[in-house]
Formats: sequence, structure tokens, C-alpha cells
Amino acid sequence: MTRKKSFSDRLADWLPRLVMAPSLLVILVGVYLFIAWTGWISLSSSRMVPQYDFVGLEQYYRLWATPRWHTAVANLFIFSALFLTVTIGVGLVMAILLDQNIRAEGALRAVYLYPMALSFIVTGTAWKWILNPDLGIQKVVNDLGWEGFVFNWITRPDFAIYTIVIAAVWQSSGFAMAIFLAGLRGIDNSVIKAAQIEGATLPRIYASIIVPMLRPAFLSVIVLLGYIAIKTFDLVLAMTNGGPGNATEMPSTFMFSATFRRNQMGVGAASAMMMLMTVAAIIIPYLYSELKESRNDH
Amino acid sequence: MKNLYFALLASSASLVAAMPAQAEVKLEVMHHWVAESEAAALNVVREALAAKGYGWQDSAVGGQSGGNMQQALRSRLASGNPPGSMQFIGWEGIDWSAEGVMRDLNALDEANGWEAAIAPQVLPFVKNGDDLIAAPINMHRQNWVWANKAAFDKAGIDPPGTWAELIEDGAKLREAGVIPLAMGDEPWQIQVIFDALVADIGGPEFYNKALVELDPEALSSDTMKQVFDTLRQVRGLVDDGFTGRDWAVASGMVINGQAGMQIMGDWAKGEFLAKGLKPGTDFLCFATPSETPSFQWLIDSFGMFKVTDPEVTKAQDALAEVVMDPKVQHDFNLIKGSIPARTDLPVDDFDDCAKKGFEDRAVAIKNGAMLGASTHGFASQPQFATVFGDVVAQFFVNDMASEDAVQMLVSGIDNAR
Repeated sequence: MTRKKSFSDRLADWLPRLVMAPSLLVILVGVYLFIAWTGWISLSSSRMVPQYDFVGLEQYYRLWATPRWHTAVANLFIFSALFLTVTIGVGLVMAILLDQNIRAEGALRAVYLYPMALSFIVTGTAWKWILNPDLGIQKVVNDLGWEGFVFNWITRPDFAIYTIVIAAVWQSSGFAMAIFLAGLRGIDNSVIKAAQIEGATLPRIYASIIVPMLRPAFLSVIVLLGYIAIKTFDLVLAMTNGGPGNATEMPSTFMFSATFRRNQMGVGAASAMMMLMTVAAIIIPYLYSELKESRNDH
Repeated sequence: MKNLYFALLASSASLVAAMPAQAEVKLEVMHHWVAESEAAALNVVREALAAKGYGWQDSAVGGQSGGNMQQALRSRLASGNPPGSMQFIGWEGIDWSAEGVMRDLNALDEANGWEAAIAPQVLPFVKNGDDLIAAPINMHRQNWVWANKAAFDKAGIDPPGTWAELIEDGAKLREAGVIPLAMGDEPWQIQVIFDALVADIGGPEFYNKALVELDPEALSSDTMKQVFDTLRQVRGLVDDGFTGRDWAVASGMVINGQAGMQIMGDWAKGEFLAKGLKPGTDFLCFATPSETPSFQWLIDSFGMFKVTDPEVTKAQDALAEVVMDPKVQHDFNLIKGSIPARTDLPVDDFDDCAKKGFEDRAVAIKNGAMLGASTHGFASQPQFATVFGDVVAQFFVNDMASEDAVQMLVSGIDNAR
């Protein structure tokens, strides 16, 4: 026998959908609609304000014929590769060392995590002064008596991008460490005990058992850091403002300047689409592997 | 629940009651003058507007050479809520006018005879066809050299007559333990020197061919290569810590004697005057050296957006009148370091550098050497002008050959067309 549902019953049925609807709508409009809009603009002749015509791939040709864009893409690869490997390496080592049941772990963890609390603007400004040869490290070492010491990377177009890596690694290592530490704490102690009983040394246990078990943590770190690398904007602006020359130009700074300073909105949109595709190239395989994993689990 | 609702209603009602019955009409003005001397100069305009009974709603957006302001403005226009007025540099006013969002000031112009008082070279940047679309307030000169007098005396040198001399003087300054030239590595700071070199080495006609008409032949000419060769020598005058240096910091280096010279527009003068330095005795100002001296100018103007509220339109008229008012232009420019956009004003109580600028302008107008500063968007549209910035900035920091730089210019301009 079916009873007519009361109002509150029906409300209870609909409530989850009602609650979800606004956020779904906001995401559809605020994210996907604007991605589509940017895609359209990248195919139009837009210069100062959006034009809704169609010129094919002209803006993409223009984009790839711009030397600054090539610099930006090359820098993105250099920066991302170094930033990811060094940050993961440093973060992992710090996490493993912290995991040895040392004293004052909480305090150390706070110290390591602290840089993450600073904005990239602050980090960038501080490192800009530290690396300036007339004010920072070079001057300090010179004043200490080592006259010939030279550390002027930030003024050299071919090395400046590495100084951005240094600052970014300094900023994000603690964050990588926190994720790895959480991963390490989640590992069942009995596995390690068993390995110890088998007579494995500690480095061997870490290399063969623990680090492989950190795979989900690795994936999280890579995706989060990769996304930070692609959107890096404020750090570059604060440290070098894209200079010397435009040696530290990144896709994000290129996009801003094309759209808002050079009256090349179409080119800016095309560069944004290229960035989106780069992000997609990282995220889609990740999602795919995650989804596949969860299917296998069930 | 009900109680809460009433409480909210009551409190919002009391808020409304607390507001004054009818506030004065405020005109929102968007600009990117955030430095101290700039804000002080703006106060002159603000007070004159207040005297006419209108308020000033400040909407300053600093940073990114106006890029941040452009971003803010576009979102405002997209939402149909433009500010009442905006400060324009370069082609901005004409470009926005072409989008149909600016109102014209023709009625005021006819009633007051403004057009006759504005230098004819400036008109293309404030007139769209027959419409006057912006009121210019000042004129800066870009191709100045600011020098520390004590450093020059110590090195035993006088203001140079040619760029070759200037570069030799640099060596003497270095021997005297002074950094010859203070500057930053921002593309526009290097571009200021580039603009000067193009006009000083190639002459005003070459400047127009290369930077205004963007003629590929002029861009790839031997003269242009010579410009880059000289720029390479100028690089040798700069210290190693120039990366990321602000122009005002570079001015500070000349002020405290750490550096001998700075090549910069006359907004740098504000920094010298603010430290109590006197032109002629503490610091020197002279045009970049050339046989055919030019006057590379840029102006700031105020444009008015189309709005629906008639009260705001009246306030816009008032602002335009204030901006074009001889006394306001006089007082404003005295603080800002520039000279009035009106050519019909006496400059007797301006400092010596401004007077020299005024004289040079009269000569340049006669000689056809009034040149819009490419760096600040008064020669070509931004998509082209920034190509010069890209190339000179790269050239300046690495060891690119002049031939390659010239090639990059030609292909870059071509790509931006």
C-alpha cells in the first residue's frame, strides 16, 4: 500500500538536490561557461574588448610566432620540472626525518610549514632582496672577506628562472612535507615491524616498502604543485617582474600583459587555452588513474 | 525567527535614516596616480571641483603600468557601470571612444575655445574625428637627463653634447667612484632611452618613420643598428644591481650621489624637489644630447564615460572645466613636475627645468621635433609599442647582436599587425 508522501518527506527527498543546485550552477557558469567563452574569444579578432566574430586559428598562429611566448613556455617547463622534483625530494626527506619519533616534532613541523603561510608576493619580495648582488647574499659574503664571490643569477637572463625555482621550493617544501608526513602516518606499523623481523635495514624499508606505499600522496603532491607551477604569477611579478629583459616570462604573466596591456585580448585568450590544455594534460591522466583504481577496489 | 527578521529590518531602516538626506553629487574618477607627488597634484583638481559643488570619488588602481586599471575598467564597462571619468594615457582615449563608450565635450570646447589653446601635436590623442573626447591637463617631457651636480664636478665633466661624449663621461664618473647611470631593467625604463636614441641619432623624421609609421625599411636600417650599438654602450654605464629596480629608486641613487645620471621623464624631478634639491646647484637637467634636439612628450587627459544620470553628466562638465582651467593647470603642474597642456600660460614661477622645457618646446614646435613618446603609447598603438619594449629589454640584458635585435623588431611588428 502506498501512502501519499507528506510535504516534509518530499522536502527531505529534494533537499540534497536543492542544496547542490546553486553550487552546481555557480560552477557551470563561473568555470565552464567562462572556459567556453575564453575559447571563443581565442578564435575571434578581439583586441581591446571582446569581439564575437570568427577568424579561425589566427590568434594561435600569432601566439606561436611571438618570441616572448616561446620564452614563457620554455620557462614553464624548466620551472615546473625543477620545482616539482626538488620540492618533492626536499619534502620527502624532511617528512622521513620528522617521522623518526624525534623530540619537538610539533615545533619543527610548524617551522617547516610556516613559509606556506606567506603569500608568494611576500616570498618573492624577500628573495628579490636576498638575491640582489648589491644587497643580499653576494654582498654579505663579499663583506665577510671573500671578495671574488659572485652570486648574481637574478641579474642574468639565462639563470634568472632558477632563482624563481629557489624561492618557490623554499615556499612549498613544507607543504609537500606535510602531505608526505600524513601519508607516512597512515602506513600500518605492522608492515614495517614484519620487515624489521625479516632483517631489512631502515633505508631499505623506506626505499622498497614505505615510499611505494606513498603513491597516493605522491599523486596529490604532483597535481597540487603542478597546478601551482602553471599558475605562477605573483612570485614572478614580485621577484623579477618578468625580467631581466623578459627572461622570466611565464604563460600567466604573458596572458595578463597580452590581454590588459597590449590590446591583444585574442592572443591572451589563446595563451589561456594553451595553459588550460597543459593543466588538462596533467589532470586527466590523474583522474583516469584514480577512477580506474576505485573501480578495481569494488 | 520572526524576531530576528524584525530586528534586521529595524536595523537596516535605522541605517537608512542615519544617512544624510541628499549627499552632494560625487564624480568617480579612475586613475593610476598613486605616488605621493601625484596624489598631491591631484588634490588641486579635487579642490577646484569641490569649489564648483561636486564631490570627488577616488578610484585609484595602481600597478602593472596601468594594466590593473584596464582590468578593473573592463569589468566595470561589461557590467554597464562605468566610472564617471578616467585618466587616459596614449591611445586609450581614442580606443575607448571608438568603442562608443565616451561622451564628447564639443559644447564646452566651443564655448571656451579650448582647442586653440592645446598644442596641435596633442590633438590627435584627445580628438576622435571632430569630437573632443578628453581634457588634457599636463605635458611631460620624456627625454631628460637628471644629473648629480657634485658628482659631475668631482669627475670634472659638463653636460655632454653628444651621446659619444655622454658615454665617455660615464667612464670618468666611474673613475670618480660613481655609478655612471642609474636605471632599472623594466622594459619601459630601457625604452625611454631607446626612444631618445632613435630621435637623437636618426633625427625627428627617422623617429616618425620608425616608431610612428612602423616602416620596415626604417626599422631594419643601418641607423637603427647604430641605435642598438649605442644602447649596448649605454648598458656598460649601468651597475649590476639594476634588476627589478624601480625608477624612483634609481632617482634616489642620483639624489644621494651614488650614481651620476638618470635618463627619465620629468616626473623624476618631483623626487629631486621633494628632497629639497635645487636645479642648477644640486642637480642638473638637460635634454638627451643631439644635433637635432627633440621634445618627446606625453600627456595625461581626463575622458568622460557615457552615463545615464544627468547629475553625473553635469559633474563631468564641471571636471572638464576644472581640468582646462588655467589656474588649475598651473598649480597642478607645479607639483607634478610637468608643464601645462595649454600653451597659452605664463611659466614665470616654475623652476628652471620646467622653464627650459617650455623653451625647448617652443623650439621643437618650430623645428618639427615634437615627438610623441613611443614608450608611453603616443607613437603607435600598444600592441606595437610593446614590441619595442620586448626587444630592447632583451637586448639590454643579454649579448644579442644589433642585427638580431633589428630582425626581431621587424618580425615582432609584423606579427602584431
